[in-house]
Amino acid sequence: MSVQTLFQRSYNQMLMPAVLAVGIFAVLPLVGMFGLSFTDFHLIKGWRGEVGLHNFAKLLDDRKFLASINVMLMLSVFGVIFQVVMGTLIAVGVEKIVPKWKFMRGIFVVPFVVPAIAVALIWLSLFTPTLSPINDFFDIFGITVPAFLTTQYGAIVAIVIADTWASFPFVMLLILAALQGISGDLDEAASIDGATKMQIFWRITLPLLKPALLMVALFRFIETLKHFPLIFVMTNGGPGRSTQATNYYAYIQTFQSSNVSYGAAIAVFLFLFAAIISFYVARANARISGA
Amino acid sequence: MPKSKHNISLKQVAGVAMMLAFAFFALLPILWALVLSFRPTSHLFEPIWDSPTVLTFDNFSTLARSDFPFALFNSLVTAGASTLLAMLIGVPAGFALAKGRSHRKFIASWLLLLLRMAPPVGFVIPLFLLYLNIGLIDTWGGLIAAYMVLTLPLVVWSSWTSIAQVPDELIEACLLDGATLFQALKKVVIPAARPGIIATGVLAFLIAWNDFFFALIITRSDTVTAPVAIMNFVSYASVDWGSIALASVALTLPTVPVIIFANKYIVQSMGGAVKG
Repeated sequence: MSVQTLFQRSYNQMLMPAVLAVGIFAVLPLVGMFGLSFTDFHLIKGWRGEVGLHNFAKLLDDRKFLASINVMLMLSVFGVIFQVVMGTLIAVGVEKIVPKWKFMRGIFVVPFVVPAIAVALIWLSLFTPTLSPINDFFDIFGITVPAFLTTQYGAIVAIVIADTWASFPFVMLLILAALQGISGDLDEAASIDGATKMQIFWRITLPLLKPALLMVALFRFIETLKHFPLIFVMTNGGPGRSTQATNYYAYIQTFQSSNVSYGAAIAVFLFLFAAIISFYVARANARISGA
Repeated sequence: MPKSKHNISLKQVAGVAMMLAFAFFALLPILWALVLSFRPTSHLFEPIWDSPTVLTFDNFSTLARSDFPFALFNSLVTAGASTLLAMLIGVPAGFALAKGRSHRKFIASWLLLLLRMAPPVGFVIPLFLLYLNIGLIDTWGGLIAAYMVLTLPLVVWSSWTSIAQVPDELIEACLLDGATLFQALKKVVIPAARPGIIATGVLAFLIAWNDFFFALIITRSDTVTAPVAIMNFVSYASVDWGSIALASVALTLPTVPVIIFANKYIVQSMGGAVKG
């Protein structure tokens, strides 16, 4: 016990640089973001003093902002559903359907390491009708693949597909790790009792995976709220404003319309949203790992 | 009895077919990027099977003449420096959080998560204004500092999770031999948690290496990083698909070691300790 207290000072010394650095590099900018959101600052027109909650009141009346939330939620919800379903199917498949093909695991990790900007550009090329081999392929059968990026919902589908491609490996890796923590005895016992593989999956494996699935879904949900390179490269928020998610709208307001304070207010909204979700992630994680 | 056997094999075929379809989906964009890299501009807009053997190496010289190699160097320096700094500061903190006694651990874990999950645009707006005023726009230092926002919370969090698995007895034995905590960290803890710590470093590097948003706002021509420099091949007049594809491949290559050795530990680093 006394050894612990003796060393506590050393522990604190080890913690101190990180506390300072996090304070300077991360917390301070956040404070700045909150501060800016209560002012009126325009990059060109300059400083026009404090305005209290004016920016937030403006948000509630801003149709573009409200529409951006809609877009954000569509991209996130559909993206997360596809990624989680696909990642889980692949994880289970790699373990149960093709356990001997070790190289499959390698194949499925590949998209994980492709930088976001490259993901966006490669998928932009695949969604460019004149260029895409997918369009060429369907042309053989006389089928014209519609131009996804020029229609309102097509553009959202395109971004969801690109994001699913880039992110299912993350889900797969986490679910694989969780699967390895599940004892095979249960499966065996169930199959001796006459359960089919499907029954084992639905009744045993899936319920046991539930905490991991919840965790990974929340994680991905927060990540998808921050979509930037995909939107910037593939659609630039368009056509019209149909893929202008909230995060992208904050960027447009700040760096293209120069409404710095208003952009900061949007960022505050996003931050609070992420804060609520990350609280649940932290709590779920504390429960799972018992930390 | 034969019928049920037949059913099972049909299901197996369907299962394998599903896995192959997924594998195709996973590989298609990569293969396509490789194809585009070697495709001459004159054949770009015809189906690949019409002229599969027409290859060009022009894109290599285009890329070599552009500012892309310089941008790769900038990426290497800024991602490398911010990773190194984050590891130096973050690993001891992870150790303290894993083994020290504190009642604020839940708050610390929430704060770290929150910082990793907070929208980058929130950090960038104040940083941008600050940098404008103190002249850090388009400097290495400015970008490295900005990357600490991304790398440090991650490094603290994931070295915390990997050091937590080092047995207390190992550390106590070292301390009983008269070592200080700092010596114990260096001699026992880091070696014992090495795979996790290496993965942490790799992941931090990747996150900075892959960043597009911070670099887009903070850099100009002097310190432009590779992800931003790729966008130079896109203009309103024309899109240089070959160079884009080749640059994308070049940007991805340094991340390949991750597949080879670190993905298991990266799972822990990214998701925290997920047990089934």
